[in-house]
Formats: sequence, structure tokens, C-alpha cells
Amino acid sequence: MGKINSISAFFDYKKNISDEANAFEKTVIISSGTCGKAGGSDAVVRRAKKILKEKGLSDKVNLKVSGCLGFCEQEPIMIINPQGIFYPKVKSENLEDIFNRSIIEKEFIQDYLYVDPVTKEQKNRKQNIQFYKKQKPVILAKNFNIDSNSINDYILNDGYSALAKVLKEMKPEDVIATIKESGLRGRGGGGFPTGKKWASSRKVKGTIKYVICNADEGDPGAYMDRSLLEGNPHSVLEGMLIGAYAIGSCHGYIYVRMEYPLAIEHFEKALNDARKKGFLGKNILNSGFDFDVRINRGGGAFVCGESTALMASIEGKPGEPRSKHVHTVEKGLWDKSSVLNNVETWTNVPLIINKGAKWYASIGTEKSKGTKIFSLVGKVNNTGLVEVPMGITLREIIYDIGGGIKDGKEFKAVQTGGPSGGCIPKELLDLPVDYESLTKAGSMMGSGGMIVMDEDNCMVDIARYFIDFLKNESCGKCTPCREGTAQMSGILENICNGKGKMEDLDKLEELAWITSETSLCQLGATSANPVLTTLQYFKNEYEAHILEKKCPAHVCTTLLKFEINPKTCTGCTLCSKNCPNDAISGNLKEVHLIDEKKCIKCGICYEVCKFDAIRR
Amino acid sequence: MAKDLIIDGIALESDPDKTLLEVARELGIHIPTLCFYKDLSPYAACRICVVEVIWRGKSRLRTACTYPAWEGEVKTDSQRVRKARKLILELMLAEAPEAVEIKEMAKEYGANPEKHNVHRIGNDNKCIACGLCVRICKERMNIGAIGFKNRGQEREITTPFDKLSDVCSTCGACSFVCPTDAIRFKYLSEKKVTPILSEFNKELIRRPVIYTPFPQAVPNVPVIDKEKCMHFLNKSCRICESVCESDAIRYQQEDEIIEEEVGAVVMATGYDLYDLKKLPEFGSGKLNDVVDGLTFERILSSSGPSSGKVFRPSDNKEPKTIVFIKCAGSRDPENHNAYCSKICCMYSTKHAMLYKHRVPDGKAYIFYMDVRTGGKRYEEFYQRAQEEEGVIYLRGKVSKLYNEDGKVVVSGVDTLLGRNIEIRADLVVLATSILPTAGTTDIANLVKTQIDENGFLNEAHPKMRPVESMSAGIYLSGCGHGPKDIPETVAQASAAANMVCKLFANEFLLHEPIITGVDLDVCSGCGVCVEVCPYNARELNEARGVVNVNKVLCEGCGACAVACVSGAARQNNYTDAQINEMVQALLV
Repeated sequence: MGKINSISAFFDYKKNISDEANAFEKTVIISSGTCGKAGGSDAVVRRAKKILKEKGLSDKVNLKVSGCLGFCEQEPIMIINPQGIFYPKVKSENLEDIFNRSIIEKEFIQDYLYVDPVTKEQKNRKQNIQFYKKQKPVILAKNFNIDSNSINDYILNDGYSALAKVLKEMKPEDVIATIKESGLRGRGGGGFPTGKKWASSRKVKGTIKYVICNADEGDPGAYMDRSLLEGNPHSVLEGMLIGAYAIGSCHGYIYVRMEYPLAIEHFEKALNDARKKGFLGKNILNSGFDFDVRINRGGGAFVCGESTALMASIEGKPGEPRSKHVHTVEKGLWDKSSVLNNVETWTNVPLIINKGAKWYASIGTEKSKGTKIFSLVGKVNNTGLVEVPMGITLREIIYDIGGGIKDGKEFKAVQTGGPSGGCIPKELLDLPVDYESLTKAGSMMGSGGMIVMDEDNCMVDIARYFIDFLKNESCGKCTPCREGTAQMSGILENICNGKGKMEDLDKLEELAWITSETSLCQLGATSANPVLTTLQYFKNEYEAHILEKKCPAHVCTTLLKFEINPKTCTGCTLCSKNCPNDAISGNLKEVHLIDEKKCIKCGICYEVCKFDAIRR
Repeated sequence: MAKDLIIDGIALESDPDKTLLEVARELGIHIPTLCFYKDLSPYAACRICVVEVIWRGKSRLRTACTYPAWEGEVKTDSQRVRKARKLILELMLAEAPEAVEIKEMAKEYGANPEKHNVHRIGNDNKCIACGLCVRICKERMNIGAIGFKNRGQEREITTPFDKLSDVCSTCGACSFVCPTDAIRFKYLSEKKVTPILSEFNKELIRRPVIYTPFPQAVPNVPVIDKEKCMHFLNKSCRICESVCESDAIRYQQEDEIIEEEVGAVVMATGYDLYDLKKLPEFGSGKLNDVVDGLTFERILSSSGPSSGKVFRPSDNKEPKTIVFIKCAGSRDPENHNAYCSKICCMYSTKHAMLYKHRVPDGKAYIFYMDVRTGGKRYEEFYQRAQEEEGVIYLRGKVSKLYNEDGKVVVSGVDTLLGRNIEIRADLVVLATSILPTAGTTDIANLVKTQIDENGFLNEAHPKMRPVESMSAGIYLSGCGHGPKDIPETVAQASAAANMVCKLFANEFLLHEPIITGVDLDVCSGCGVCVEVCPYNARELNEARGVVNVNKVLCEGCGACAVACVSGAARQNNYTDAQINEMVQALLV
């Protein structure tokens, strides 16, 4: 069927495809986002399709290739419905077996089931897995039911019904009021109330306005937006359509980083499908509303995630921010009123329209509503994307969902908000995760990165890493950011190398002050957060580096010194055999010796010694 | 409107169309800027113009160059502002430790230039990446030859692909606008940067594209050098227009030819100096420290390039030994000009004296053929130079000048002592010969008057009519007529003016009675006489087929009478018959 010409035609169409879908006996979902592909999902999908054909199951089994299902380290994941059989890390050589026993039959195959890393118990269904239990997936949930390249799948999962509702019965002002009432705030980091932003743009006179989707997700270790664009591109598009309708815009842009080829591919397909079906273009669903979206690919600059730099980049200029005293809703892209929202923000919009502002506002805290996706990475047992209601505590995310720290080590800190965020210590683990609390703790929500660190992480080194990242990503336009980050990086480098002085800490605070007070954009203004929070919560580590010339976490190699304890050394020669630089000497059954001049401080001896005879 | 904006205690109306910087400057409040330039888009990169903006109880630092003059309170020099500026300057000094302007500012704000030790690599220690050069090149010059490369601390001004630009016109706008003098053209373009040299200051210093040709210029207003101005070269720039507060710039002004009907013309065409290139014995103009008298006049002038401090062009150092050579190109009929340039004796003496006043321990030598001091008190002046000022006069010619070890070796002869002389001079001043201004011949032809064998305008009679030319109503004054000093020029010019007055004071023009006429009965209208008449006094009356004579223009030279085939052209009061009668009378 071609274009859908009216709202009633849309519902007819939905009924038709629903009947088609119900004809299938079983549904098999294979996750194949970027993380899935890295785990070999392409081969799995190819094999699955072949087996379906061979066994003549094509009209009985509905095979869906979905986006990321959140549990990234277990991908590719296969789910067989209606039983809900959950197989992680699926391999193509096991597919024949799975088809025979779990799809044709209904067996849960013990060998392939998920094993909890903490309890070592086998879990057969998704809802029994600890990682998923505490989550409240309302956005990511759809990834479990949708083939990421199928517009019909999206329509069957309430897709474009919000658009239909808006076009049928809501005035732009009603849409804005609903968004305002829901309490949705920008998910890109700033947390600006979305409804308020739209209302400001609505007020601006003029016929040309732009809606822009910011998909320039640059935080190291964060990939919420990628997963949404890959797994459910239509939801982002529908959000933009509704936003455009609300502010009176007919041009949209999505700024995706070039490093997300799959996201671009899926979104491009989504745009083409939506155009064919009549959800994009002129006179959408015969409502008189016109809208279309263009994809802009980012060249890999972190700063292009900043709204004005992003707009400059779309305009074809160097991606550098400009002063924002006059907001971009008034003068944005090409000096026209522009509403820029993050991928996750846009995805929330159709949900709010469908389920109502009250439902949405019931989730979360007083000032932070709804759910938020975090990418939980670092030293936790379960890493992946987690979607939780606002207000959940850090402890719940790290221990209940993340399954605690790996290898039974001690939790030290969690870094939230990307490189410009801060490190939150153990004492604040019960901090509710919302915009205000995180900011108060010296960090921020950011776009949702969450890096867990244990006792083996040196906090000075962490601060240095993030400042280094920002130093390299600073566009260099304004003096405080360009020079301030470089100076901070130099000081931290010195401290890590044992050349720090106590007055360096004052200098760091002074630099932090000037960058946050006078930087042109938020990249610079928040660049000192990793330094300030580590100074605030882990000053003792700085002092150890400076005064005792020691790195308590044994990370900073220049400060490390490997020694052999003669009392415990048995002369097994294991260390000297493994030493890559022949720095350890000693005969069998005699105490060994490390030559300090030759030692490259790789730590292999420490790892291999079975008698704990290596001291560092 | 309420006065809702308070800047440093001064209340005024807010104006969102202006920036805080504009409003503050109107109030005479100084806010320092570096990356701001009035005619370029605001950039807000250097952050030095931060001011404290207090609005709704919140105080924030905001850049005055971009922040609209909204309601609220603004403090432009509070403690917090000063602290921020100090820290910013310290950061700038980390990347540009050699930028003079930044160092000066740092002193004012008490910034420590050695606070930070992470320095930028690959920078010449002056650039603060303010981007003014990039913006002026693109926005004003329509060229865009330069831009930034790299991010963060590695940000650098460069040309595309770091290759010497072929679009850069080396106009110098970037260098002009750069606050820290960080532009190095050799990294931008292959083109050699040729500074525009001041013609009036004998190319000793530069002059801008917009300049007043010389201090006494009439009218005394600046002009735009259209051959160098970027606006005329590629329709760009127009910065002068926006800077000029009197709105006086007119790009559409053109040179024009003004036609006036006049009754008399005073020819004051002036002189040129003999080209140094024509003096191979004196280095053909290739020796930097060999200059002509006019150049040295500029060097000595208190309104000159060095405000009167004596220097030599090659290294701007004060010359300790100076040699003046007179008659350079004059009084040398075999090689150069036969005539005496007349003024050199006195001005060389003056130059030597002034030099001795400025450089009392310096030595001044003058080579001369003769010392001609024909003028009131001239001789006394010359004596004073020798006796009181210690200027050394050497009678003899200089045969050769050449450079050696940074000196100009003057190789000559002292004919009084009869021996060769060699002086190692720091500077040599040649009293080059005076020439009629180039084009004097053309203008003389235009007004139908004569020039002499040297190209100077000729007077009607060397003794009786020294300010009149051969053509009626054309008078002479100054060096166009022949070498003259100032008193003589003034005297001659006054006389010429007086002659004009005399001419205009009469009701009728008096004319010599010996002019030509035409015997209309005989004239065949062949037109030969029209062609030969040097004064354009004859014209062909085609209707009647005869030639008419303009009695005012005719000078009675007789050329027509000689040329006339039919004998119709004749000189009145000097007819053939009259001459015959005179001859007859003589013989009888």
C-alpha cells in the first residue's frame, strides 16, 4: 500500500497490518544494533533467515531484527515469543539446535541460558534477570518488539498514533501545554523544560522555524542515543513531527555523528519509509501540515554537541559555539527560531501524547519527570543501557541493576554526566538521580553516561583523563577554555608524575574558577567539574600524590615502585620468566631481585606472583 | 521609558539593539577589548571584556561585546571583573609571552606572566587566537585567505593546507587589525610584501593608503590611493567609511578636468632632481647611504620621518661622518648638464651646519668646484660654516663612491693640496643637478611658448622682460624658468603677479604694432600660413575662401609672410615696400 491519505486511512492501515502480524505463530527477535553486530549478530541473522527458509517456517515464524536490547555485553540476544525464551550471546552454529528445540518445540535449552555473574544461577526469561528487573523501560521497551527497519512494526506498537492524535484533535497550543504538564526536561544535559522551549519558539513571529535533533552523542562510553536511533528511529522522527507541529515549523534537521553509520542508515530508511507512507512531506495525513527532515553528518567534534556549534556546523561553518545571550529559540539556525532537542527527548514526546501528561508526570521526582536511560559502564558486573525512573538512587542502579562491583572489589566513585560531569563518592551513593541532586553534588545529569570506578581507579588519573579529553576537544575559540584546560591538564600530569606541589591545588581551583566563570560555552564552563569533584571528595589522593609521592590506587606508573619481599619470595622464577624487559634476576629457589632501572612498571610480575611476594 | 539599566552607577534606558560595550563607550566608560573590532562581527573569544551583570539577584560575568544592553545592573570594573581579567591575561601570557600589548595589560591588572608553564607549541609566542585577522580577511576583504586549523591549544592561524596562499593579496589588513603584531606574511603568501612608501618623505618611511600628500597640501585633506586601496581593488573593505565619524569618505570621487577661461597664466612648473641612476660614478643610486639633497632635507626636518633625528637609510643609525658632494650632474657639459644649478652651494652649507647642530661630534665634509655665494649675506653664511661650525670644505671632484664594511668610501682629490683623498663616510649627500619638471616641454607647447636648450621655459628677453614668456599673457616664475633659490623665486613670482595685475588693469590690451595681416584680394585660402603660425593666430574662413588673422594672438614673427606663396600674408608696418625703402635710404 502506498501513501496514507487521511487519519481514518491510517487506522484502517493499522488494522490490516495487525491482522497480518497476528497470523504468525511465533516471533523471534535477534538484537543487531552496533553492540550486537560487534558480537556477530550479522552472521546469526543470515543463518536464521536461511534456516527459516529451509525448514519452511517463513509464514509461521516472524523474525525481527531489533536494535540494542540494553544488555550490551550479552549481545547478540535472541528472544523467542510467546514463551519469552531469552538466549544471550547467540552463536550462529547453535541456531540449528535452537530452531529445532526452542522454536519448533518449546524447550528452554540449559546450555544457552543466561547465568547470573553474581549468584551463578541460570535465568530463563528476561523478567527474571536481575539487570532488567529494577528497570522501568518505557522508551527502550519498544526495542524488544520492533524490527528496527520496519515502519509497520512501529505502527503496530502505537507508532504514529500520537501524530494522528495531535493532527486530529490537538491544537499546537494543546500540544505545548501537554508537554509542559508532563514536566519533560531536555535529556541532552541541560535539563531545560522542553515545553517552555517550545512555547518560546511558538511565540516567535516568522514563517521559517527549525526543529533539530541533536544526535551528536560524544561522551566517551555513552550510547543511549545511538541505540534509540538504531533500534527505534521512527520514534525520534515522530517526536520531531509533533514538535514541528507545535511550534509551526516545516523543516527539520538531525545532526548525527559520522561515527554512527548504522544509526544514519536506519534513520535514512525510516525517513524514506515515512515519506512513502505519507508521514513526512506535504499535507501529512491530509491535515495541511508539511514537514520534512534532512540528515546532517557530524565530523567528529565533541563541541558540535553544543547547540550553537551544532547549528554553525549545519550552516557549513566551522563547528564553534557563539554567545547565546539571545537564545537559539529566537535566533538559531540561520538566525531563525530553532528548537533543538536531544534524541531521547524527542523519543519521549510521542509517549507523552499517547499515554498522557499525567501518566508521565507520575514517574520520577517533583522536578525531574519520566525515565532516563543511562549507559552503565565501568567496573560493574552488568554493563549496558539501563532505563530507570528519575529519582532512583545511584546505589540501586549500581548494585541492583549493575549487580555490584566486579570481582568483589570496593566501590570508589561513579562518574556521571560525561567528561564534564563529576565523580560522586561512596558517601553519596544514596543520592537520588535527578537534575538538581546531581548538580548539587558537583556533577550533572549530562546525556546519561555513568562510569563506575572501584578501588583500582586513581581519582587524580581519572581527573587527568577527562581534562585531557576536554583539552583535546576544546574548539579553542575562547581563551579560558583553550588555555585553562591545557593548564589544568599540565598540572594534573605533573601531579600524576610525582612532580606536583601543594600550591598546584590552589592553582587548579583558580583555573576551575576562571573556566567556569568566563568560558564561552558549556564545554568550557563545566570542564572543571571532574577536577573540582575529585578535589572535593578525594583530596587525600591528591595529597598522597604530592606529599608522599604515592599513587594509592597503584595506577600512576611513575609513582609505582615494584619490590620483591624476600620473606615471601620462594624463588619460583615465575616473575622473571614473565618479565618482558628482563628486569628480574635470581636463581631457582633463591630470592629474586628487580632491577629498578630496567623495570618498565608493567605490573606483570605482580599479577603472576602466586605468593604475594611483589610489593608495589 | 524607565531608566532600567545601571552601568557603574549611571542610570540609563536599556537598549537591546546595542551591546553593553557600545553603551559603555558612549558613556566614556573604558572596557578593555582584544578580539573586538567595530566593523567585524563580534566573536567573544578573548573574554577580556567581561563585566559583571546583576539581574534578578544573580550576578554573572558576561562579555560586554556581545551582551545586549538589557535592563539590570552592570559593573565594569568590580573586584570580580578585575580578578577574571587578571586570570585571563595570565592564560594569554602562557600562549603569547611575547605579545607586548598583553604584557602591558597584564601590568595594569597585576597578572603574573610566569604563572603557567604549559606553553603552546608551534606558535611564535605572540598570537592569542582572537580571530580578528580571519574575520577581517573574510568579512571585509572578501578574500578569506586565512583561517584556523586544529582545536584547543593547537589552534593556529594558517592558510588552507598550510600552503602559501594564492588568494592572499598581502593587503595587510590582518596585520593592521592584529592586537599583538603576530602576523607573519612569509607563512601566508609567496607575494613579497611591498610597503607603500611615502613619496613626500622621499620613500624613507611608509605611508598609509589614506594619506595627506604633504603637510601644506591644498586642500589639506586626506586622499585615498586608488591603486592600493582594497575597496578599489576588489570592492571590499570600506572600513574607513564606518570609522569616519564625519561621514566624509566618498568612494565615487573621480579626478576631473576643470576648464576655466583665464586672461593670463603664470607658469610655476617647478623642478626635478637629476636622477641618481644617471650618476654611475656615484653608485647609480644603488648605494643605500648615498642620497640626494632633498632626501637629506627630509631626514633633517623636524616633521620628517625621524622627527629631525639624523639617521642613514641603511640601518637607521646616526651618521658620524658625512660627505656632501656638490655639482653632482651640474657644470659638466661632457657627461651631464652644462649649467650651474645655483642653489646647491648654499643648501649644502645649510645642510652641513644643521647636521653639525644635531650631531656635534660628527664630521661634515663638502667637496666643491667653486663656492658660489652670490646673494645678500650668503658669503657670511659660508664663512660661518667654515669658521664657527667646523664644516670642512675640500676643493676638488669626487671620482668614485663605493660601499665597504658598512661605510661609503669617497674617493676624490683635493686640488688645492694636490693630493688624493679617501673618506670613509657613513652618509653621502649629493647636491644633484636641478632639472625642469618632466612635462615642462609639453606644457610649453600647449601654451605656445618657448623652452631653452636645457628644457627650462624661456623668457621673452633676458634683461628687459625676465618674467614674461614669448607669448602674450604667459608669465614665468620659479625653477621652471631656471634654477633659483627661494628669495629669487618669491621675487619673480611677485613680479609675475604684478604683471598680471598690470595686464588686467588696462581697459585695452596694448600690442606691438608689428603684426601680420592678409591682402584679401590676393589670398587664395590655401591655408599654408595657418599651418606655419606658431601662435594659432590664423584661421581659414572657408565660407569666403580667405584667411583671417587674430590680432591679439599674433606676435608678428613673420613666419606666415615668408611662407605665403601668393604674397597675401604680410607684416603690417613692416611691408616689403617699407624694407625696400629703408634699404634704398641706406644706400643713397
